[in-house]
Amino acid sequence: MSPRQMKLGLFLWATGHHIAAWRHPKAHVTAGIDIDHYIQLARTAEAAKFDMIFCEDAAGLREANVNIASQTSRSIGFEPISLLSALAAQTERIGLVSTASTSYNEPYGLARMFASLDNLSGGRAGWNLVTSASPIEAANFGATGLRPHADRYARAREFATVITGLWNRRAPGHDGESFSVRDPLDIPPSPQGAPVMVQAGASDDGRDLAARTADVVFSAAQTFEDAKAFYDDLKGRLAAYGREPDDLKIMPGVAPVVAATEAEARAKHDELQELIPDDVGVALLSSYLSISDLGRYPIDGPLPELPESEGMKSRQALVIEQARRDGLSIRGLARYFAGARGHWRLVGTPAQIADELQARFEGGAADGFNVMPSWFPGELDAFATLVVPELQRRGLFWKDYEGRTLRNHLGLKGPG
Amino acid sequence: MHLAISLNIAAAVGEPVLDFSRISRVVRQAEAAGVDMVIISDAADQPSSSPFEATTLLAALATVTDRIGLVASASTLAHQPYNLARRFASLDIISHGRIGWNATLAQNPREAANFSRPEGFSNDDFRRRAEEFINIVRLLWVSWEHDALLFDKVSGRFHNPDKMHLIDFRGEFFSVRGPLNVARSPQESPMLVMSGLADTELDFASRRADIVLLNKRQPSEARAACDEIRRRAHEAGRDPTTIKMLAVAEARQEHDAGSLEDLCVSCGCDGIVLTVQPRVEAFVDFVERLLPDLEQPGFTKAKPGKTLRDRLASGEDRRP
Repeated sequence: MSPRQMKLGLFLWATGHHIAAWRHPKAHVTAGIDIDHYIQLARTAEAAKFDMIFCEDAAGLREANVNIASQTSRSIGFEPISLLSALAAQTERIGLVSTASTSYNEPYGLARMFASLDNLSGGRAGWNLVTSASPIEAANFGATGLRPHADRYARAREFATVITGLWNRRAPGHDGESFSVRDPLDIPPSPQGAPVMVQAGASDDGRDLAARTADVVFSAAQTFEDAKAFYDDLKGRLAAYGREPDDLKIMPGVAPVVAATEAEARAKHDELQELIPDDVGVALLSSYLSISDLGRYPIDGPLPELPESEGMKSRQALVIEQARRDGLSIRGLARYFAGARGHWRLVGTPAQIADELQARFEGGAADGFNVMPSWFPGELDAFATLVVPELQRRGLFWKDYEGRTLRNHLGLKGPG
Repeated sequence: MHLAISLNIAAAVGEPVLDFSRISRVVRQAEAAGVDMVIISDAADQPSSSPFEATTLLAALATVTDRIGLVASASTLAHQPYNLARRFASLDIISHGRIGWNATLAQNPREAANFSRPEGFSNDDFRRRAEEFINIVRLLWVSWEHDALLFDKVSGRFHNPDKMHLIDFRGEFFSVRGPLNVARSPQESPMLVMSGLADTELDFASRRADIVLLNKRQPSEARAACDEIRRRAHEAGRDPTTIKMLAVAEARQEHDAGSLEDLCVSCGCDGIVLTVQPRVEAFVDFVERLLPDLEQPGFTKAKPGKTLRDRLASGEDRRP
């Protein structure tokens, strides 16, 4: 048996994960309307042997303030299921994971979409379950506003039960609190049977749902200790659902900026940070804290005391802890978070970055990583040509695909 | 005349599975023969052996074709208007402006039972809901102006906020704030195709549809429906030639270019939709027998345009 190797996902996001990515002189600024850009990124990731590409999603604008929104590239982009279906026809081996909301879809409809994507791709589909925490999205689906956190998770649990029942051809018929379904799925079984189930919610409700239903969890952790605590907690919850620790892969997000020398990497990072307008950085931070008015506090002052939000409990706690630990002002915190959106940022040489990834992987804090290049295509190219070969040289990452399905890539049980 | 092919992939039951390579080969061959568009539907009364859902299949087809129009049927019961508007707007950008949405106005009871509406809708409620749904989708599709995106790296302005519009729709069945989070279509908006129209829906279609599919037993019935829709469009202040009326006919062995033109003329339509059965033999027959016949010099085909909208407009002056 080969030694344990890390899994790598490529987290796609139009012009890049950095909030000012689109302003980078070499960033592909029309990414949100250019399918060829995405086909190229997918092929780059496939050539580098990434296990999967991942698309995040929201069914609405990211930012309520129209002035702020117009200074970012996030208001327009492809709907991810159609995007990944297009990429399925243009790639051979790489996994294709799309986000879709349990609050604004029906299980029968989503079961069909992902079964179809799994068939189109020959068994490479995955679904990232989200409950959608944004009131902006809620306003596109009715006049009653965002449902409370607990209600969203109750609906998500029922959704997951119904959709896995459809995929796994369990006895048809469901009449529950939120959903009713009469018939079996009308699409024949796809290569994976059930597409890979992914989750990212890190609240207590989110972790429990993940322990019960997820194959992969994307997480956000700044420090080794946080990553390790999350990893141990989530793996520890699996036994209660009759699952083995290896049945679920935990892949924290990492936002690398890599160059041949550390000084070059720092310069690349600073160049991007300089492109963030203050009002944009503060607005992004506000939205991660699920409050609307951080702009009325002095920008060089500390983060004020905040009520616990109904939106994203786990993310809020992370941000607050970060600010206290590093004594950051609102501006400092805004810039810090704008860069990697709360994810783990690594700036350095290929060896330095590989060291950090290796430490978390071998230290029992990660099964792999969801890579978030700061801008496309440049930082993806840099990771693929500098970091991936270093990881391969150390025997930490495979040199080629071994199977055909995403389930197989990830070493998960089940068909495929 | 315009020529479309219609493929209900869900009608495949117990057939060998039509995989993507086989479907894409037929669509590419139709494209090469000058067929204007392919209409894919995936709804049936029973489980099918088709491995695909229509909109996902369309996305994949968009990447392996470059001229043919691509239309998918999608139900107003199986989707929320915001999600459906996004899906088709996104497909439209993936295909560089070759997409249409076939909004079928006939209710499928199987869908209600599987989409958490076991009680279904009365026909009247279903119709009012579908009309509201279609109106929302149309508003979302134009919620960004054509020149809204600036991409100005130096000034830091990605788009012009004055050219992005909330729709603030509050209706009987839906409430949608908007705007869409997909850029404006390369062809004004995805083409709105309507089918399954009852007589009471002709008025709505005459005001909203870009393309109407008429599934009538007799050419005289198709002609009457065409005339009625054109008359109502004119009354509503709309140029009737901007609605393309296509008569639906089953692809048969005896069809050739001449008989299709005759059928089109007798129906008073702008073109024909040929229904091709989702079976390997039917595909082969269609490709080997009918497609070569369309290359004949006598057959009047519309000039291809870059977008589906342009392509269909190009035939305007030559309606039989």
